[in-house]
Amino acid sequence: MAIAVLETTAPVTPPPPTSKRRGSLGGVILWVVLTLLIIAPVASFLILGVSPRVFQQGSQWFTLSYVRQAFSSYFGRGIFNSLWVSTTVAILSVCLATALAWLIHRTNVGGRRFWTVAMWLLLMMPTWMMTLGWSDLLQPFGAAEALGVNTHLIYGEFFGPLGIVVVLTSAALPFAYFIVSAGLQGLGPEYEDAARIHGAGPIRSLQTVLPIIAPALLSALAICFAETMSDFGVAFTLGYHSNFPMATYVLFSAISNFPANFSVAAVIAAVLIISTIPPIVLQSRVMRKRSYAVLSGRTRAPRRRQLARGPRALATTAVAGVFFVALGVPILGAVIGSLVKNLGIDSPNGVHFTLTYYAQIFKPSIQGDSLGAPLLLSNQLGLVVATGTGVLAVILARRLIANPGSWSQRVTDVFLLGSVAVPGVVLGVGYIFFYNLSFISHNVVSIYKTLPLLMLALVANAVPGQTRFMAGPVSQIQPSLGEAARVHGAGRMRAWRTTNLPLMSRVLLWGWLLTFTKTIAELAISQILYPPSQEPASVSIQSYLANFAPNTGTAMTVLTLFEMLAVIGIALSIYRLVTPKGWRRVGWTGVQS
Amino acid sequence: MSETARRAVSVSVSALGKLFGDKRALDDVCIDVEPGTFLVLLGPSGSGKTTLLRCVAGIERPSSGTISLGGNVVVGGKTFLPPERRKLAMVFQDYALWPHLTVRKNVAYPLTTSSLAKSERVGRCDDLLERVGISHLADRYPNELSGGEQQRVALARALAAEVGLILFDEPLSNLDADRREQLRIEIATLTREAGMTAIYITHDQSEAFALADQIGVLNQGRLVQFDTPENIYRHPNSAFVARFTGVAGEFPVHVTSLMGDHRVQVALPFASSHTIEASNTECLKPDADVSLFVRASGVMLAEPARNEGVRGIIRDVAYNGRGYDHVVDVGEGFTLTKIFATTRFERGRNVKVCFDPSACFVMDPTREVSE
Repeated sequence: MAIAVLETTAPVTPPPPTSKRRGSLGGVILWVVLTLLIIAPVASFLILGVSPRVFQQGSQWFTLSYVRQAFSSYFGRGIFNSLWVSTTVAILSVCLATALAWLIHRTNVGGRRFWTVAMWLLLMMPTWMMTLGWSDLLQPFGAAEALGVNTHLIYGEFFGPLGIVVVLTSAALPFAYFIVSAGLQGLGPEYEDAARIHGAGPIRSLQTVLPIIAPALLSALAICFAETMSDFGVAFTLGYHSNFPMATYVLFSAISNFPANFSVAAVIAAVLIISTIPPIVLQSRVMRKRSYAVLSGRTRAPRRRQLARGPRALATTAVAGVFFVALGVPILGAVIGSLVKNLGIDSPNGVHFTLTYYAQIFKPSIQGDSLGAPLLLSNQLGLVVATGTGVLAVILARRLIANPGSWSQRVTDVFLLGSVAVPGVVLGVGYIFFYNLSFISHNVVSIYKTLPLLMLALVANAVPGQTRFMAGPVSQIQPSLGEAARVHGAGRMRAWRTTNLPLMSRVLLWGWLLTFTKTIAELAISQILYPPSQEPASVSIQSYLANFAPNTGTAMTVLTLFEMLAVIGIALSIYRLVTPKGWRRVGWTGVQS
Repeated sequence: MSETARRAVSVSVSALGKLFGDKRALDDVCIDVEPGTFLVLLGPSGSGKTTLLRCVAGIERPSSGTISLGGNVVVGGKTFLPPERRKLAMVFQDYALWPHLTVRKNVAYPLTTSSLAKSERVGRCDDLLERVGISHLADRYPNELSGGEQQRVALARALAAEVGLILFDEPLSNLDADRREQLRIEIATLTREAGMTAIYITHDQSEAFALADQIGVLNQGRLVQFDTPENIYRHPNSAFVARFTGVAGEFPVHVTSLMGDHRVQVALPFASSHTIEASNTECLKPDADVSLFVRASGVMLAEPARNEGVRGIIRDVAYNGRGYDHVVDVGEGFTLTKIFATTRFERGRNVKVCFDPSACFVMDPTREVSE
């Protein structure tokens, strides 16, 4: 799953009315696209769990034997591990994110702007990169020891549930943080003031006020759970090396081992999807039944609590500590790891720093491939996928907020919620099945084992989360702004371009950057669907790390990370240079800066 | 004929209906507005006035009926002209100023598709900003302005379009009393100077009477009265219109005699020996039980020693700047509110209450359009 649901509690307002005929035709086209992108591939894979004969994967038309198999031995352990780890991670990340959001948005803690940028970086960092940084840092004769820190005691613990929970909590933190922040932003000081005036102390007033953002907390819990359940990066790296199987990895191994067991993989996929739907649907129902709309024209800007010097220093240190563990350690570990000669090997000559591995990146190695071509390919994929996802997400987001309560809106809503819970690995395998069907390849489209198939799968993976990410900002734009443009002479497109686009520009840009970076670093789908001799960067790096030259793989990871950061920097600079001042003043309707 | 007078367009709405699901927001509404007229649509929340305005603007598509602007059908049958082709302007309730554009660019927006040279556009913009008194704010952004200033920008933007019809969607509802008064005058003056036809919606009857050449009163999606402000005030055609346009009191009364020329004599419930004259728009029979509606302007307070009038006791008094508004208890649990006098009558004081027949009318409350 590329990105998750970053929702706001903003009231949903309908967009200007459109022609019914045009709307229904558009709706049909949209659902055909969504069927080809998500519904058909996922459904064709899931059906194998109970009916393997449909795609010639067995002799039975209906059987439950694979369900039993999936819940036993190694596979069952993977499912059980994923469930408890995801629950733990969801609770930890929401608690931590609530504390961070409160400190950053409601107090004068130091470096507030910096921490928000750091949170975005954390959001964009793939989990396998985090794992790599940690393991490079902690391994015997690794980066930490190069800096003179003994890590023998922690190392054993890290390669196990503890390390997995730490990395996944770090990865889930931004999702929870942005959702809780949105809730806190709308919570004006008057609620706390009213509690204090009526006799509540600081603790009791906090107890009074926190339930107001309960939907945001619940939403964050659901999303963190879903994100963790569907993560592949940690399961593929840390989970595998720690002999701690997790659901996504056992699913992957079920299809990649010989002989492949697609039916068991399908059952595990169904478990992954089903396990994430209840919390999301529960959250959605709670949001629908109770109104927590706290944003209004009369809501005053939240007031910051002025901490005294001592508590402020303590709070700043605590926030810095969290970011150091979540972001600093992995980056530091990977950077140092890429610079230390013979990392992980006891050298009698002591530690030596070198740039050799960076030099090797672009030289043909034993494997015959440098990072150049895969990285270029990943950037091209990122460009196409982020743009395609952005267009589709805006269309879907508008549909999601149009005609609240209508049948089409509810179907779209449920579909998107369900799709957010579909892990990339499930989508990847589903694409193999669906687009390899002779009916599809002969009559619809023949793209099996091609780059467009990988692109489509990546778009399908990113669209649900991106749509929900856009829905908040889109719903916050008052319909009267577009109506005013139409009334004063602008056509439909011009009205959208001159009024809605500027207001959404920044969130569109960040959404694009998020999909772009996630696509470059995406592992599960890329690993399953990359065409022969066209490896994306993430796959290439994994093969270096696993088989040939881990040090060069680490250097590749660092280079890819910095390349992503450079793209973000360039894109933001271009945005700053080419957009009018007015766009930059208000183009931030959804996510707090 | 001057250029501005030529610009104003007629508006004709015929049998207009609008359904939202199974809820009827507009029901068979017919209106004809002469060019240059300032029409105010008056009605409570949910009466359909905003829907009607949005249908005229083209933001909402009616379920049935036709709309013509300047003789051209913009809605009717299969015709539906989008807003940008209707050549009108609008001032929105929430102002709808684009937050990413400066005041000047907001005002210039309707001119960007015109054939005017840039210098002309800038000149016209500056002229309009000068006229609405915010030329010094031209380079500011909307969020840097007060509510009144934002409303002025919205007004300037609408005037900039130089079209034949301007629509106002409760433009003063978000402003405080002082600014409302000031801007109301500016809207009336500038719109008439521009020679445009105007349709203005509000739920405030004083605003309606102050602005309108014609008033249309809407209730539950139906146009219940369409007339001049004077006629609507003096001759409301239903209890609903009478109540909505402001009465000081409403009492159940008994018709004692018919006087002809739409006049009747009624016995007051709080002073059985006392009868007063009232106008009557319905075909009433003698002895009919009806309601008496009394406008505040038709009630005078006098010293208790005065011969005519009924007895009352002052319950409350409020200073309103020009004089005093009183609440008078007239007995049997009946009160009259907002009774104006230039002198103050203290609370608890006995007074005589005199009624002006021209501001009293009787109607059958059960026959009203609906409420």
